[in-house]
Amino acid sequence: MELLCCEVDPVRRAVPDANLLYDDRVLQNLLTIEERYLPQCSYFKCVQKDIQPYMRRMVATWMLEVCEEQKCEEEVFPLAMNYLDRFLAGVPTPKTHLQLLGAVCMFLASKLKETIPLTAEKLCIYTDNSIKPQELLEWELVVLGKLKWNLAAVTPHDFIEHILRKLPQPSEKLSLIRKHAQTFIALCATDFKFAMYPPSMIATGSVGAAICGLQQDEDVSSLTGDALVDLLAKITNTDVDCLKACQEQIEVVLLNSLQQFRQDQGDGSKSEDELDQASTPTDVRDIDL
Amino acid sequence: MAEPSRDAQQIPRGSKACRRLFGPVDSEQLRRDCDALMAGCVQEARERWNFDFVTETPLEGDFAWERVWGLGLPKLYLPAGPRDDLGGGKRPSPSPALLQGTAQEDHLDLSLTCTLMPHTLERPEGSPGAPGTSQGRKRRQTSMTDFYHSKRRLIFSKRKP
Repeated sequence: MELLCCEVDPVRRAVPDANLLYDDRVLQNLLTIEERYLPQCSYFKCVQKDIQPYMRRMVATWMLEVCEEQKCEEEVFPLAMNYLDRFLAGVPTPKTHLQLLGAVCMFLASKLKETIPLTAEKLCIYTDNSIKPQELLEWELVVLGKLKWNLAAVTPHDFIEHILRKLPQPSEKLSLIRKHAQTFIALCATDFKFAMYPPSMIATGSVGAAICGLQQDEDVSSLTGDALVDLLAKITNTDVDCLKACQEQIEVVLLNSLQQFRQDQGDGSKSEDELDQASTPTDVRDIDL
Repeated sequence: MAEPSRDAQQIPRGSKACRRLFGPVDSEQLRRDCDALMAGCVQEARERWNFDFVTETPLEGDFAWERVWGLGLPKLYLPAGPRDDLGGGKRPSPSPALLQGTAQEDHLDLSLTCTLMPHTLERPEGSPGAPGTSQGRKRRQTSMTDFYHSKRRLIFSKRKP
């Protein structure tokens, strides 16, 4: 016992499950059920009076920062955004409640996906103590009720492994492609444009954008251009033109966020240290379109 | 057994992510809105299941509720004192039945102790109704309420795909 090492990552991960990842029925089932978990409407037009699209972006950016700082699993943030969008599609909400809702959604997503979930206390500190843990717990029930307890939503991350294993990429390139695709998925979740897209399309577009982006620096793929898009579209039964449009939108969002990033850097509002802590922007910097 | 904690992931001092986004939050308004939304959920559940979850009494409607005695339930499902094992016991604890909200039609089997009428059974394709395989079988799941189970009287035609 004296030799117990405390530096080990306390999070234990299961090995990849061949029964889940190498069976096409799983992919087919995901494709069948994914639409059930999409928000019911474009809520800025038909439900919300107080909340504007830029406010969703603000709360999404904050949620992403919290998830990154707390080193949450990758799917926690997109899943939390799915809960938020589904709630807002049904309940008119004043903007002063928006951050509380964001915290509640992270709380739920973290509990569903992580072995060591975020605590209510910690999330309240991240709101600068503008809400109390008790309020977070009470609103947790409200959100659960409105989501009808359907928390196991399909996210783009569920498709990544299924897509990657069908690509003819050398396996040593896959981890880089996966990492970039995950960054794109997070980026998509911050942008309302993608909220109504099926997760499989976002996943497919993100993998496509990742390969195209990486291709410019090094040879990561034997397939490029139309051949790549055709193969990707076939894997997830996505329409080729929709997929191309989606991939282009992802690239535009990336460009915008890179510009935003350079502006922030120019302002000197972020120190280099801070930037290096955040894994996602670091990845984004590596991509050259 | 020591729970592994997320202490390694403490909030860095002066973290930029600690901020309020939309100004001061009105606790009073939060409380009012929370109560109103919860009341809506309760009402929805009441209509959906013709059961008053606050007083735990059956109402007139599609479901026939019957009191069940001595099911041999695991203690976990019985109303008890403060549930310290679940999140520190600070949570307000309404009726466990309330927490079910309004389950969707296809979740019926999961949330009710009920007897399904034979012709409402969903048969898996390829096994067309071998008599006696599942008809009249009681499916027990006891979180809906601790003291009642229901018989399903009517067939709902509004099943979602």
